[in-house]
Amino acid sequence: MLLEVAGLKVRAGHTTLIDIGQLALERGRGYLLSGENGAGKTTLLRALAGLQPADAQRCAFDGRAFVLAPYPAALRRRIAFVHQHPYVFDGGVHDNLAYGLRACGASRAQIAGRVAAAAAWAGIAHLEEREAKLLSAGEKQRLALARAHILDPDLYLLDEPTANLDEDGRRIVISLIEALGREGKTLLVACHDRELLSLPAVERLHIAMGRAQAGTPRR
Amino acid sequence: MNLLETTWEALRLLVSLDPGLWQIIWVSLKVSIGALLLVSPPAIAAGYLLATHRFFGRRFLIVVTQALFAFPTVVVGLLLYMMLSRQGPFGTMQLLFSQPAMVIGQMIIAAPILVAFTLSAVQGADPRARETAIVLGAGKLRTAWTLLREVRFAVMAAVFNGFGRVISEVGCSLMVGGNIAGLTRNIPTAIALETTKGEFAQGVALGIVLMVLALAVNFAMAWLQGEGARR
Repeated sequence: MLLEVAGLKVRAGHTTLIDIGQLALERGRGYLLSGENGAGKTTLLRALAGLQPADAQRCAFDGRAFVLAPYPAALRRRIAFVHQHPYVFDGGVHDNLAYGLRACGASRAQIAGRVAAAAAWAGIAHLEEREAKLLSAGEKQRLALARAHILDPDLYLLDEPTANLDEDGRRIVISLIEALGREGKTLLVACHDRELLSLPAVERLHIAMGRAQAGTPRR
Repeated sequence: MNLLETTWEALRLLVSLDPGLWQIIWVSLKVSIGALLLVSPPAIAAGYLLATHRFFGRRFLIVVTQALFAFPTVVVGLLLYMMLSRQGPFGTMQLLFSQPAMVIGQMIIAAPILVAFTLSAVQGADPRARETAIVLGAGKLRTAWTLLREVRFAVMAAVFNGFGRVISEVGCSLMVGGNIAGLTRNIPTAIALETTKGEFAQGVALGIVLMVLALAVNFAMAWLQGEGARR
């Protein structure tokens, strides 16, 4: 198992937003998190990414126990989270792609090579010199996926990655998610997209009223 | 001397690079820019911490900072005078009636403006900016730098606003600077003095400089706010 969480609870005041008894993500598998709006999909992803205060009885990543608060810095390199509407920093596409590498102290030569590779992977090499804030929604989503991919994490937490994209943008993003699956990455994707839901080799997790249930595995 | 003659004489003093006049302008700029350079980093950091951290007494600190906005500069001068006078706790440092004393006073005056404006700028920033920096592995310092960079136009506007307040304040500079010619006489204290002496030309000349500076600051702020809104 790559990630195991037991007794995960997220509260806002006296209200329990999510209460998940057991969540286990197998290495190299894709999981699609479905559920009504407000069911807690985003909250669950944010809690696993350490962006939302949460309690858990037990958490383990790659066999090693960890606590959600304070969130371990080492996990930041291994778990990527991409917002539904990704934020791009002021500056060029290149700087956005290089951000995580700079944060972990990569050398200039390493950054140049990996940024070029990530941009090519996401099909945004031609946009590298562009102002990131001027990109379209689909291009921003691809930039965000490439910005996460460049750090080579094991687990991707993707929040509605195809929402509000036009048809072309959607297809490209879906193909990138499929590519991540082929690379053996573990994916937990919150989505309503029928095309993503029908991808092979993914398992469905349904979340209702803050409680997750495993769906029928699709292989 | 009528208003037209006074203004003409004031312009002549400015254009002829009258050393006494330009000495006063130099003291003003040196003290105010020095105060801002010294107070900006800690005040901006304090504004950022107040915006991004929850701790006991935070609300109280924000209210105090906002209340200090309206604190009369002459009272800041009075309190600082008492601290720096011979009987005061810092009397042995012999700072009273010196440029460093004026710098300290102006730092105290500018600090609440910088803290409150930075706090407001960071609170108004898109929360995804900070979260994105965190999930991409940025540490606390890099995250703070990233967020402040994202709201840099608002932070720069805060610095200009602080400059506008300190360059024109008279109360504190007069109290702790003493208005000593060639040493602590700055534009506002010189205007007050020259007017009481009936030397209107120099007062008007300095007034023109002060207004040009105020206008420049306002134009800069308007431009920065426009840039910030555009992004």
